[in-house]
Amino acid sequence: MGAGILIADDLSFMRMIQKEILTEKGYTVVGEAADGLEAVEKYKSLHPDLVLLDITMPNMNGLEAMRKIFSMDPKAKIIMCSALGQQNLIVEAIKAGVKDFIVKPFKPERILSAIEKALKAG
Amino acid sequence: MDETRLRRAFLEEAEDLSQKLGDTLLALESDFSNSALINEVFRFTHSLKSESALMGFGALSKLAHRMEDLLGLTREGKLQIHKRVMDVLFKGADIIAEMMAAIGKGGSDADFDVAALMAELSEVIGPGTGKGAPVSAPSAPPSSSPASETAAVAMAAASGPEAAREIVLGEFERSQLREARDRGETAYRLTVLVDEAEPMKFPRAYLVFYNLESVASVVKTLPPLDGEPLEDSLYAATKFLLTSADGEQALKNAASVDQISEVRLERCPFESLLSAEQPNVPPSATAAASTEPSAPAPDEPAARRAGPVEKTSIRVDTKKLDDLWSLIAELVLHKSHIARLSEDLARGVDTETVREELVESFDSLDKISGGMQQTMMDTRMIPISIIFSKFPRLVRDLSRKLGKPVELLLSGEETEIDRGIVEALSDPMTHIIRNSLDHGLEFPEERVRMGKPEKGSVSVAARRQGGNVVIELADDGRGMDAERIRRKAVGLGIAGAEAFSEAQLLDLVFLPGFSTKEVVTDVSGRGVGMDVVATRIRGDLKGDVQLRTEPGKGTRVTLVLPLTLTIVNALIVRGDTQLYALPLTDVESTAKLLLTEIHGEEGRETSQWMDTEVPVFSLGAFFGVGRHRQDEYFAAVLRHGERTAYLVVDELIEEREVVIKPVDDLLNTQKLFSGVSVLEDGRLVFILDTSFIRRENF
Repeated sequence: MGAGILIADDLSFMRMIQKEILTEKGYTVVGEAADGLEAVEKYKSLHPDLVLLDITMPNMNGLEAMRKIFSMDPKAKIIMCSALGQQNLIVEAIKAGVKDFIVKPFKPERILSAIEKALKAG
Repeated sequence: MDETRLRRAFLEEAEDLSQKLGDTLLALESDFSNSALINEVFRFTHSLKSESALMGFGALSKLAHRMEDLLGLTREGKLQIHKRVMDVLFKGADIIAEMMAAIGKGGSDADFDVAALMAELSEVIGPGTGKGAPVSAPSAPPSSSPASETAAVAMAAASGPEAAREIVLGEFERSQLREARDRGETAYRLTVLVDEAEPMKFPRAYLVFYNLESVASVVKTLPPLDGEPLEDSLYAATKFLLTSADGEQALKNAASVDQISEVRLERCPFESLLSAEQPNVPPSATAAASTEPSAPAPDEPAARRAGPVEKTSIRVDTKKLDDLWSLIAELVLHKSHIARLSEDLARGVDTETVREELVESFDSLDKISGGMQQTMMDTRMIPISIIFSKFPRLVRDLSRKLGKPVELLLSGEETEIDRGIVEALSDPMTHIIRNSLDHGLEFPEERVRMGKPEKGSVSVAARRQGGNVVIELADDGRGMDAERIRRKAVGLGIAGAEAFSEAQLLDLVFLPGFSTKEVVTDVSGRGVGMDVVATRIRGDLKGDVQLRTEPGKGTRVTLVLPLTLTIVNALIVRGDTQLYALPLTDVESTAKLLLTEIHGEEGRETSQWMDTEVPVFSLGAFFGVGRHRQDEYFAAVLRHGERTAYLVVDELIEEREVVIKPVDDLLNTQKLFSGVSVLEDGRLVFILDTSFIRRENF
């Protein structure tokens, strides 16, 4: 069984696409979250191997969620998803320790290679 | 491309642009609708933007770009100029000027926080206008980016030894490199090419940077990754200068994140990176060391590059050059005359005639060399208007901010002074003027109540007085109360303050942390400042500063400055076997001191000068020799500010001019010397920094 991944994005359509791409390659989507708060809760309960975390989300944005997750698990593997123009937020996320970032709209290969590299790296 | 030359050329031109930008804005302020002025300002910001982008000064470039946007809209008539617009533009021009100054000193424009100003600019530009798109969202494909940015990418993408030239190191970075070398690390230049498909290249490069930091120390990157990001496409090729002990593979692994299409890594020897440390070798020395007397290599050696680039070229009045040229012509003439006399002597011509002619010729030579010295000194002189011209803006802004109408009177702007002094004068004078407006001048209502004109007056006047330039900064404000200073001084426990004369009391204002103002304002701050002014004027510039005040009438600060810092009239004295020079500006008198006239225990001795007991220092004591015990001593009476002291020396030799050269820090651990000079016979003379007499003891 492939690695377990948590997808957090407020758009259900976006989650659907990501889930499709991932399952096709043999990953297991262990859970989905529609906002930051839910992402943190699900990380706590599901212990995924990796999180795809959108930056712009209601309730708790991706950056805050990221910080919460890192405070629970400093070794968490997080890949941020962002829109163009959010480079300052991404830089913040990088400073906090995320493995990579993906810019929307993205190609399936991009998401897959980012996940593959992030999982491979210690 | 020669980086140093490039940088220098940039500084020259950009400083000029930045100055013109400020001047034109001032003109525009009184004539909002003048389209010619708007065009000019637009052009200045545009040029500043392009040039700084080429040099990799991102923050500067972004700021200028945003100002250009604003001005572009004004030019097209889409935005009306009003007071707010002017204020924002002025602020922008100020920061640009400060950035230029920082870059000139080897610093970086990235040290400035421009976020607030950028936001203000965007606000003024407004969302409705076409150019209002935030620059932080660079979505334009590279093909549409301006030529300058494309050029910068091309520069950044260059590789191999060429690329080595582009990373310019400041003193801080060089010290990082030295430390790394001492730790036994290796220095590398690492270039990453970001995949074209990556839509956000800056964060990508940043990710590489972040990863590298775990295995290496990143000394510098190009384009810079700290501070506000530049145009995103510039990061397509990002270069890192780094040091590491982890080996090449670790670096490559760290840099090989996703979306990086290529990682290039090359070692760079510390010597080549640090060789710029050596100051420029005089050409004669290079030629002497070289075995081939041929022309210098076309490819300037690395030793010449990098490091902070001070502005080294100057503009000189052609009249001064003409004068110098005619003196040189005379010199050549006399040289051939002397050559002929020497031949005559060799041939055995009557020595009496030759001797007469020689004496005559020597007299002329003396005059010529004196003239040349004077003319050369003149070329270092620039009119003080260079700093004066900043004051109308300063006063205008402060006056508005404080709500105190002020009239500024400038005079003597044409007075010339050594350019080295001019540069160092700007800050202290600015500080004094700020003080005048903030603390000195009353608010209009108060002034009217006191029967003064509603508008306050601040005057700045310069004049030449003998070998000095005197600058007076006066205001007609509330003045200072000497007795209040006395109370504060007594409160602070300053010894003898009860009996201080008014001049002595006022001089206390120049002590660190001494301020009678209990109010904190954001204009002048509190308790800091005047001591810095005094240190700069009395210490660095070998001048003097005095304060006169009359309660209710105003305050006057007088700066007395030497015309030049390179030649000084000095009293030469001997301490043990070493010669020292005491700048005459600091020497009040010379005296003989009898042993019986010296009181107190060793190390804290005093003696009477005029009517007061003043400290007695001994030259020998500084250098561990101590004072030989004898009945009678020679001493110089030194004055620094309001402080007077005796300096006992072994011999008073003569008064003469000495040429000041910088003194090596190693020889100056006690900071007693302001320079060193070499006499004709090769003996070294240390020039004493007489501010030591302000120290408690030694």
